[in-house]
Amino acid sequence: MGEEGGPAGAPGRRRRGGLSTRLLAFNLLLVFIPAAGLLYLGTYEKQLLEAQERSMVQEGRVLAAALSEPGALAGEEAPRVLARLNRRLESRIRVVDAHGKILADTSRLGPRREKPAEEGREAKGRERILYRVGAIFYSLSHRLLPPAEPPLEMREPSPPDGQLRGREVEAALSGRYGRTVRPSPAGQRSVTLSIAIPIAGEGAAPAGAVVVTSSTWRILQDLYAIRLGIFQVCLASVALAGVLSLLVSKTIARPLQELRDEAAAILDRRGRLQGSFRRSQRKDEIGELSRALHDLTARLEGYQRFLESFAAEISHEFRNPLASIRIAAEMAEDAEKEEDRRRFLEIAQREVQRMERLLSELREMTRVDARLESEEQGALSLNALLERVCEGYRLRGSRVVFSFEPPAETITVQASGERMAQVFENLLDNAASFSPDGSAVRVRLDREEGAACVRIADQGPGIPDEHLPRIFERFFSWRPGHPEADPHTGLGLAIVRTIVEGYGGTVAAATNPEGGATFTVRMPASRTGVFAKLAPRA
Amino acid sequence: MRVVKSVHPETVAVVDDEPAIRETVTFALKREGYRVRAFGDGREAWESLQQELPGLAILDIVLPRMDGLELCRKLRARSEALPIIFLSSRDEELDRVLGLELGADDYLCKPFSMRELVARVKVLFRRAALLRSGPSAEPEKLLKAGPLELDLDRYTARWNGALVSLTVTEFLLLQSLARHPGHVKTRRQLMEDAYPHDAFVSERTIDSHIKRLRRKLVETEPSFSGIETVHGLGYRYEGG
Repeated sequence: MGEEGGPAGAPGRRRRGGLSTRLLAFNLLLVFIPAAGLLYLGTYEKQLLEAQERSMVQEGRVLAAALSEPGALAGEEAPRVLARLNRRLESRIRVVDAHGKILADTSRLGPRREKPAEEGREAKGRERILYRVGAIFYSLSHRLLPPAEPPLEMREPSPPDGQLRGREVEAALSGRYGRTVRPSPAGQRSVTLSIAIPIAGEGAAPAGAVVVTSSTWRILQDLYAIRLGIFQVCLASVALAGVLSLLVSKTIARPLQELRDEAAAILDRRGRLQGSFRRSQRKDEIGELSRALHDLTARLEGYQRFLESFAAEISHEFRNPLASIRIAAEMAEDAEKEEDRRRFLEIAQREVQRMERLLSELREMTRVDARLESEEQGALSLNALLERVCEGYRLRGSRVVFSFEPPAETITVQASGERMAQVFENLLDNAASFSPDGSAVRVRLDREEGAACVRIADQGPGIPDEHLPRIFERFFSWRPGHPEADPHTGLGLAIVRTIVEGYGGTVAAATNPEGGATFTVRMPASRTGVFAKLAPRA
Repeated sequence: MRVVKSVHPETVAVVDDEPAIRETVTFALKREGYRVRAFGDGREAWESLQQELPGLAILDIVLPRMDGLELCRKLRARSEALPIIFLSSRDEELDRVLGLELGADDYLCKPFSMRELVARVKVLFRRAALLRSGPSAEPEKLLKAGPLELDLDRYTARWNGALVSLTVTEFLLLQSLARHPGHVKTRRQLMEDAYPHDAFVSERTIDSHIKRLRRKLVETEPSFSGIETVHGLGYRYEGG
């Protein structure tokens, strides 16, 4: 019972927008994760560094090869070559002899060709802000996963004595390829990559080495540009994802919220249904849900109305016999003549019987309503059943003649024999109670359009048109002529309808043109003959 | 109660589709000396009664072919003075009928007491006879409470001299309340006063009648608020 009113409303309100938020988060993650991956992964940086190293090695090798002629290092050959190369190189190239003494250095050969000014790009405020926003993520990821930095060589690579030392130089002078990474003097995040290539000498020992030095600053500059680009795309995607999420949430979350509000409005404070869901015209799943809810609440509403009217009807139906009993008892008490007293007691008895009957039929009816589905049912031959029911009336010696006209074939339905017997007994009782003495009640069984069709025709007064729509209603009763005979409750035909409709059938009544009434029961018939053998019943 | 036999030349029409009720009511009224015409069907009753109007009509509300409300309207159209008693078997029905300005003279809920019904029939016949003879009440038959004046013989109430048209039940309730202004009357006490012969009236019935009684008094005197609900107890008459 905790589902009603206030308590259920509060958590619902707290969850408001939960679906929208989740949709947004999901969409943002979808956009952001791959972009962030590109931003954070060092792969690209590494590749760029390798490419730079390769090109430096290439330069070094060419120079080393050019200087490997015997005596090339002794003269002014090295500075000349470097002077020629200077304007075409982006790296600093130094040539050392076998002892590490600098023979030539591109940085001492006058101004180098300048790289395009980066400051102009850096200075753009918008990009700076963007980059800073991106840098928050970037530095965060670096703090969490520090990139594997190459070991740093801290020694100053250009000593004043003109003697170049360093691991790469030592390696090259001993005939191997040397390579070192040092932090840039500028103190930025960029580093200086320095490689050394031995220059072949006459003997086994190299005659000297070519040292190529380049800062990764340029690479970082390029990477910055790429990252900035990716980040811009990423931001645009995030904005787009936000807009899309809003749209999606409008088409999903909003209608769901509306459904919830509607549901809250449908229950009043006491938890009773007030109206039902609107039938949405939407063609999507939410439309289907709303239509399903509409049908559900419509059914529930119908059932609620039924329960309420049922309670009122029952109290009404019991008050009439109760009133009769009460006044009959009073009258018996006040009666002076013995015969009057007996007469009133008889009335009281009769009305008590009527109440009993009413109670048992009510119980029957609610039982049929509740249990029809779960009751045992099998293939039931209507031929045999109707024969048996009519025979029963004949044996009991009815004042009406019952005749059954069976068809040539056996017609079976899926139902409980007991329930169907109840259906036909109620219909035959009803027919008999309206029939004049000695008249006939004819029962016919046919197959019509795949349905088993039972017609029960009497020779009574027929049913006035104004009553036709109501005769299967509970407690509806119309008994012209002989009201005292045969107490009735107005539930017999209602029970018939409940059972037949419970089995997916229909029951209808009509007045015959030649007089009398005909009740027609149609039930889905079981397949017979060839088809029955081919397709066993499900 | 010992039934006193007296001869009334008056005719009572009883219309109810319950044979047992028809039979017993007919018997009881005949024993009181009334002529009784009983019908089980509204249309049949109307066809017969319009030929010769009865002195009083007892109508069930739910009737086949023509319901009691329709029959009442038709009878009223023929005679303003004809006393009509409604029998009802549903509380909701009573509320609905009370809401309609049908001009019925009384309502009884099933299961009613036959003694109560017979007493009402007598009261209504007497009221009809006295009203025909004109207003000449003896002073001791008058109950005065401020602007309210109750004629205990004719079952009529006047507010500052203006006639308030009440059913017998409403009159009995008002009389019970107005006899001791300022005193709380419980529903049980009101029931005993309004239905002296019937011990099985539901409290809801009293509430329905009180509601209706208040409305009628307000219609006569728009500022009327003399009948006060005392929650959990009953009602109190505060006077003008």
